[in-house]
Amino acid sequence: MAQIFSPAADTWLRMSLLAALSILAGGTVGIVGFARSSYMTSTEFRPPQPVPFSHRHHAGELGIDCRYCHSGVETSRRAGLPPTETCMTCHSQIWTNASMLEPVRQSLADHQPIPWTRVAKLPDYVFFRHDVHIAKGVGCESCHGRIDQMALTYRAEAFTMEFCLECHRDPTPNLRPQDHITDMAWKPAADARSEGEATAAHEGIRFGELTHCYVCHR
Amino acid sequence: MTSRSSQRMNPPAPRQWSSVEELFDDPAFQAWIDAEYPAAAEFAPTARRQFLKLMGASFALAGLTGCEKSPFVAALPYVNQPERDAIGEPRSYATAVLLDGYAQPVIATTYSGRPTKLDGNPEHPVTRGRSDAFMQAAVLGLYDPDRAQGPARHGEPVTWKDVGAAISLLRTTWGSDQGDGLRMLLGPTSSPTLLRQLDALRSQFPKMRIHLDAPAGTTARAALTTAAYGQALDLHYVLDACDVVVSFDDDVLGPGPDQVRNARGWAASRRRAADRPGIALYAVESVPSATGAVAGERLIADASRMARLAEAFASALDIAGAEAWDLTSTEQGWIESAAKACRAALERTLVTSSACGDPATAVWVARINDALKGAGHTLKATRPVMGPADAGTLAELAHDMRAGKVRSLIILDCNPAYAAPGVLGFADALKQVSSRLHIGLQRDETGELCEWQLALAHSLESWSDARAVDSTASILQPTITPFYDVRNVHQFMAMLLGEIDPAPDAAVRATWQSAFGNDFGARWRAALHDGFIEGAAPFVDATPSTTTNMPASNTSEGLDVVFRLDPTVWDGRFANIGWLQELPKPLTTLTWGNVVSVSPAFAKRMGISNGDHVEVEIDERKVVGPAWIMPGQADNTIALYLGYGRRRVGRVGDGLGYNAYSVQPADHPWIAKGRLRKVGGNETLAVTQLHHRMEGFDLVREVSADQPALPQPKPQESFYPSWPSSKNAWGMVIDLDSCIGCNACVAACTAENNVPVVGKDQVTVGREMHWLRIARYYSGEAETPRSFFQPVPCMHCEQAPCEMGCPVHATTHSPEGVNQMVYNRCIGTRTCSSYCPYKVRRFNFYDYRAAPEAPEQAAQNPDVTVRSRGVMEKCTYCTQRIEAAHAAADKENRALRDGEVVTACQAACPTKAIVFGDINDPDSEVSRLRRDGRHYALLEDLGTRPRTTYLARWRDNGGGQG
Repeated sequence: MAQIFSPAADTWLRMSLLAALSILAGGTVGIVGFARSSYMTSTEFRPPQPVPFSHRHHAGELGIDCRYCHSGVETSRRAGLPPTETCMTCHSQIWTNASMLEPVRQSLADHQPIPWTRVAKLPDYVFFRHDVHIAKGVGCESCHGRIDQMALTYRAEAFTMEFCLECHRDPTPNLRPQDHITDMAWKPAADARSEGEATAAHEGIRFGELTHCYVCHR
Repeated sequence: MTSRSSQRMNPPAPRQWSSVEELFDDPAFQAWIDAEYPAAAEFAPTARRQFLKLMGASFALAGLTGCEKSPFVAALPYVNQPERDAIGEPRSYATAVLLDGYAQPVIATTYSGRPTKLDGNPEHPVTRGRSDAFMQAAVLGLYDPDRAQGPARHGEPVTWKDVGAAISLLRTTWGSDQGDGLRMLLGPTSSPTLLRQLDALRSQFPKMRIHLDAPAGTTARAALTTAAYGQALDLHYVLDACDVVVSFDDDVLGPGPDQVRNARGWAASRRRAADRPGIALYAVESVPSATGAVAGERLIADASRMARLAEAFASALDIAGAEAWDLTSTEQGWIESAAKACRAALERTLVTSSACGDPATAVWVARINDALKGAGHTLKATRPVMGPADAGTLAELAHDMRAGKVRSLIILDCNPAYAAPGVLGFADALKQVSSRLHIGLQRDETGELCEWQLALAHSLESWSDARAVDSTASILQPTITPFYDVRNVHQFMAMLLGEIDPAPDAAVRATWQSAFGNDFGARWRAALHDGFIEGAAPFVDATPSTTTNMPASNTSEGLDVVFRLDPTVWDGRFANIGWLQELPKPLTTLTWGNVVSVSPAFAKRMGISNGDHVEVEIDERKVVGPAWIMPGQADNTIALYLGYGRRRVGRVGDGLGYNAYSVQPADHPWIAKGRLRKVGGNETLAVTQLHHRMEGFDLVREVSADQPALPQPKPQESFYPSWPSSKNAWGMVIDLDSCIGCNACVAACTAENNVPVVGKDQVTVGREMHWLRIARYYSGEAETPRSFFQPVPCMHCEQAPCEMGCPVHATTHSPEGVNQMVYNRCIGTRTCSSYCPYKVRRFNFYDYRAAPEAPEQAAQNPDVTVRSRGVMEKCTYCTQRIEAAHAAADKENRALRDGEVVTACQAACPTKAIVFGDINDPDSEVSRLRRDGRHYALLEDLGTRPRTTYLARWRDNGGGQG
């Protein structure tokens, strides 16, 4: 009676099992990698804006404080985009004829908002609050990156749930003293953890309560 | 299962039952109960293979929902940012909404200039921050997509300029004969500005006449007090000063402008003592109501017997001229018991009769109050706040229209073509008027008959003023810029007075300019900030005339037919508000319709079961509606509910129920004699009483003065380890003794948590989405039952079965003890719901969300996710409010204070029956109540350790009929 299986059958079986496994693993790695790619998370993409506003110039070179324009950041859930009026406090005096600023002047004249494209966007089911993060010692730079070095603004961090949770699980190393909240260049001292612990103790962080679902979703 | 089946084979008389079908062991009821999840009953059984395929597909698709690149969207800042306006933060404005012309003071929460939630104004002397269902739902009325959106003439859109031109032409005509053929019809109003403008119009056209249309009976009490006291009065019940209340067919705690005040007073009195109920309520009623449901001794009597019973009661109190005759022994017993209580309490007694009752009862009740010295103490009187004072009636107007005396009719925000007694034939009479002008929120049944059809601004987008039931005035300020081409009532009146393009606030400012005088600026700002202007009307002495002849009662043969306002859509004006249509009406738990309610014995005699069509005939006018067997209704009385049968209100309210106005008599609109016969046909009513049933006994517990404490809850063993608790542990205690089943909590929850409206068909199959239901139980016989209300939100069990059941961990436990629902994880297996012994979980069988462009979208709370199809949802303990309080406390680096987190249901409850707080804090209100002797947990022996618990209801000592 002829053998049903050739001598190579065993090898083939092992090979195909291995192939199936590697396709599965590779596929998983690929999908996860794709989901976290800068393409999917839109990091490093500079969306076109009606005015090519430069944070590098305003926040970096001129040194205007973040809160001059994003005035709600300490008091409300949204940092807020500056109203046209705020732009015009300076630009009614300087660069009054710059063609680049035409949409700003038009906005004021027509009483129509400037249609910016939102860069740092969270999904609708995330209920994020700026004010409490600022109050607890999370700096602007921790999430928004070196805004002061961005000529055109882009999303510095992939706002994935993992990104948020990393800090919510263990906030200590990411906290900074209140007087350095808007400081873009601030670096923790050699021992970030002990400094963070001091801040956390001072701010009364509710450790262990920050990772349950209803903190951010409801 | 075996034990349960054997229980069914041999049913013990259930201690508490929820429907007549259950009590009578109806086979249809059994079938309903046999379906473990009633909503699934309609589906054909799914084959196992099909089931596995579907499961596989749903798992695969569940994973794919994450594969979506989030798009870049526009961000639009202000051009000029208003001062102090933090983007995304709610702002609050004190204003008021109207019910029957009375102000219901509110604090409106607005996001980016759009109101989303109304709460009572905590400083207002009448409501002290409490609400009712109408107030909660008013915000959805603002965003009603079927509102009149601009002025029209014969249905063709016109501009307000055209309207102005037409009005100036009309003014010339009116001026030529001093307004002889001019009539104006409006609902009763308490607005000082509107009354001032009406007077101004009358001085311009001295021969014009004003008529009042009050389908809700706002003016009926004036007629009764005139009979009893010789003058028109507003009567105010001071329930918090009472020890004994005796009610003659008066739904003291029922819906209406007085509900919040009365319910507050009732609850305050009820809690006065710790070891017994602090106030005793004796109610005699023909149709069961909230008042009867909570009464210690309830007597059932036909509506036409009230006058005789009141007289017998007066006789028991030795009041001159009163005689007791022809009483049954039950009636005799009730009267003796009530009279004994009254004699003991004397001036701490209040006797009430309905504003929609017959005059003889009112006269006797006035004399009794006077004799008991309660008048002036528990019963106060003021001059009526409703105006205009010397207005004609609707019947007179209809008569004059027929006689051709009316050439111009202006109809201001009322709908007589629908809500007028059918015998008046108002719609036909209206056609005799040559010039007809209607302004209203809707282009309704009356609007469609008019030449000019103008669009009125909602009270949340108007400048106006109004008085609350105690006559405290409020200035109404707009909480949103009108988004339709509408004008407010004062702008319209100013146009009639000859002004061109009047400003929205000019008339209101002018009124208060003269009231406030030199101090106008500061007092105006204070009035807007506070939401009311201190100063109620002074009380007047009211002595009942003892000489008046007793008004005759209708003694003709037939059934007593009583008319009742609908507890959710009221006189029909709220028919297009989905939140109110879907609220289960107290006691019947009916939604989306009205019924002809009959007594169980009568139904048995006539062979009627629930939903059978019956025809009611009054004075040869007939109407057909579905019957409802109402346990505890008087045998010879049937009740018709007004507010349904609308044709022109909008997509939500059109074509529901029958129109009871069509058979309403004009002279005595609230009680009539009539006949009822069964006609062919039957319809399924969308009642919720059998949905979401709990399997258990003793769901509502009672204590009495003899035994004021329940056994202490036993610690329940569990196989699962306990969750560690963080600093705060949230819990809720619901006092069943205070609950009057008014639905304010359910409406508030709907508004706060974006709970969808699912419609009549979906409610019929048990898919209503309310996160909080008011379960209603009966005990005793169907003819004389006792009724119980039990609000049931999520129990937030410490050992929650749902958490153990979920295959994808979509429902989890928070360190604060909140049972969390994660919509994005939910794949819709509904396992959690079948594991839940309290049946509080709700599933989105369809996408119930409003269309993206629909104006109702604006009513949604931006702090709460709007759920889509296929996910489970349930009460979250208003987690958005907890997190907001945490954020506020964290910013100030302090601990949360007791009372800082108030859930929506708690804030709305007029009797403060719901208390929420931190059970880890021994000094919190909720912890204090958990130590009360009346404290118990629902289905405690299941070992779920619920965080929501109850206080048992007091059982008054007396026997009575129920």
